[in-house]
Amino acid sequence: MNSPGMTSARTKPAPLNKKDTRETPDLSVEIAGYRFKNPIWTASGTCGYGEELDTVFDLNRLGAIVTKSITRQPRPGHPPPRCSEESGGMLNAIGLANVGVDNYIAEKLSFLDGYRIGVIVNVAGFSFQEYIEVCSMLADCPRADMIELNISCPNISSGGIEFGDNAKEVERVVSAVKKVFPRPIIPKLSPNVTDIAEIARGAEAGGADAISLINTLIGMTVNIETRRPTLSNNRGGLSGPAIKPIALSMVNRVYESVRVPVIGIGGAMNCRDVIEFMLCGASAVQLGTALFLQPDLPVIVERELKKYLKKQKLDTVTELIGKLEKY
Amino acid sequence: MKPIISHEVFLTSRRDLKNDHLLLGFGPFPGAASIKPGQFVHIGFRNPLAFYRRAFSIAGVNTVKREIEIILKVIGRGSYQLSQLRAGEGVNFLGPLGNPFVLPGKRQTALMVAGGVGYPPLLFLAMHMIERGYDPKNIVFFYGGRSSEDIVDRARIRKLGVRFLPATQNGSFGERGMITALLKRFLSTPGTAGSGENVIFACGPEGLLEAVDRIAAEFETPGQLALEAPMPCGFGICLGCVVPLKSGGFARVCKEGPVFDTGTLAL
Ligand SMILES: Cc1cc2nc3c(=O)[nH]c(=O)nc-3n(C[C@H](O)[C@H](O)[C@H](O)COP(=O)(O)OP(=O)(O)OC[C@H]3O[C@@H](n4cnc5c(N)ncnc54)[C@H](O)[C@@H]3O)c2cc1C
Ligand SMILES: Cc1cc2nc3c(=O)[nH]c(=O)nc-3n(C[C@H](O)[C@H](O)[C@H](O)COP(=O)(O)O)c2cc1C
Ligand code: FES
Repeated sequence: MNSPGMTSARTKPAPLNKKDTRETPDLSVEIAGYRFKNPIWTASGTCGYGEELDTVFDLNRLGAIVTKSITRQPRPGHPPPRCSEESGGMLNAIGLANVGVDNYIAEKLSFLDGYRIGVIVNVAGFSFQEYIEVCSMLADCPRADMIELNISCPNISSGGIEFGDNAKEVERVVSAVKKVFPRPIIPKLSPNVTDIAEIARGAEAGGADAISLINTLIGMTVNIETRRPTLSNNRGGLSGPAIKPIALSMVNRVYESVRVPVIGIGGAMNCRDVIEFMLCGASAVQLGTALFLQPDLPVIVERELKKYLKKQKLDTVTELIGKLEKY
Repeated sequence: MKPIISHEVFLTSRRDLKNDHLLLGFGPFPGAASIKPGQFVHIGFRNPLAFYRRAFSIAGVNTVKREIEIILKVIGRGSYQLSQLRAGEGVNFLGPLGNPFVLPGKRQTALMVAGGVGYPPLLFLAMHMIERGYDPKNIVFFYGGRSSEDIVDRARIRKLGVRFLPATQNGSFGERGMITALLKRFLSTPGTAGSGENVIFACGPEGLLEAVDRIAAEFETPGQLALEAPMPCGFGICLGCVVPLKSGGFARVCKEGPVFDTGTLAL
């Protein structure tokens, strides 16, 4: 078993650091053969490449960071307005603005070298070739513990239909990147589909080591004075507490449909929400939009999660995973 | 990197500045002593009426009491919620955020161009410079609004001993017309423009910043613009607050700004 954040972990057998081991209650979780010190992660696009968040709290407190989606080439992103404030959340159309994989490897990934946290690199693409190229470049970067595949991107060769829309396409792209990247692959599912369980099974068939969900829900709002959509891209992705019930329902559905671990995302704003996700089947939970409102939230959730486990007389957080008592 | 502090602060003072403008003091904030004009705090509420935090320029600091002042105009949800705070009630301050103004040389003349509720960071800049031994006579405070009511806090500006040049569009206070026209007239005085003796500092609505940017170029005068943008996060992680750059691409208002040199933005 590897301990992410310790590059030597793959050569030496499983040297869990002291903090990770016998602390009670034990917050560590095992996902795809890696042990994370806790199930509290940050979501792609809501924590940059880690540098800024580290000025608010010590990133070492996280189980893992999932960095902003990277593509083969740098992308400037959409013009403003990119975000719009809604009741219970926000719409965004950032346009996958990122530095490109070359700069990412040269400048951004090394920032995370000194941290003992899981580094999960989120990769986006507009073609099969792009996913494969980016993932194979990351294969040689030991600091990239895992890849999260953002499949909520339009495939330019199939008329802009999202990769994540079709189970067969998902299976194909996952199995293709599995061949070029030797460590775990976590496809991140889009909720904008008819049957999330079918897509999840496609991902598993392609060799996914875990599955994360959900990405944002497509939405639109309008300024009635100008009659313009509130975003320059016209449509955007809805995130925040408004989407939590949808996310929980989908996480639970996927948890019951596949064998690989599930990572919950979508509107988690506090420790209660994190526990809800875990009860629905999540082995870890990513905090996203919540970080904008309360950037030190991961530290608070960690503290409260321990308190909750103590009160519930549980020794380990893993005892929560999927322990929903359904009617 | 300088730490950003997320900290509970309490309302310590409140003053009405008329026309829905309020001066609010908050403390204690551990980072108060390091704050510079142009920087802002991102304010979070326990039960917010709006979804995001709200950004407010720092309008003054009391380093002894570790208190921060902001000046707001009640416009919508966030500013209303701040206006309803009672003494001793708390909010969360995230800050100090953003890059401050770069101070001019001691012999240079600072031309501060404020539009409406854009004046707080410039007032702080003027106070900060005077505290550091700058001659108030080398500060010209241009302050524009639609009408007399928009020009608030006059007494404090006058007390600084700076040259105060107000303008209103309806002529009810100061010169009649746009404040930028007044700036242009000032720079047109023979021997003034391009002399390297003036530096412009501006904060206000988009139209004002655009005009100042053009005027700075026309008169070959260096300048700094303090921008506003809706800010989901306020410290660089969401990429939601960008402004287009002349050189291509975008800059984050909260992180690369909110203060930008004139001539760099595609306004
Ligand atoms: C760096 C920076 C510094 C700033 N400094 C200051 C400062 O020193 N002083 C200051 O006063 N402000 C400052 N601001 C602006 C401040 O952050 C707020 O934007 C401002 O107070 C208005 O926010 P609000 O929540 O009160 O209004 P909002 O609720 O956001 O409303 C804004 C506008 O939208 C309209 N509106 C209201 N509700 C809705 C709705 N549901 N849907 C659509 N439209 C609606 C309102 O009528 C209003 O015209 C600064 C901003 C930045 C980025
Ligand atoms: C501003 C913003 C940018 C995002 N960028 C990305 C991205 O680049 N890649 C990605 O896979 N998801 C991205 N997301 C989606 C989040 O990772 C997350 O799946 C979604 O916001 C739901 O979680 P939340 O409600 O907790 O934010 C972004 C979300 C936001 C709000
Ligand atoms: S407000 Fe998030 S990057 Fe500026």
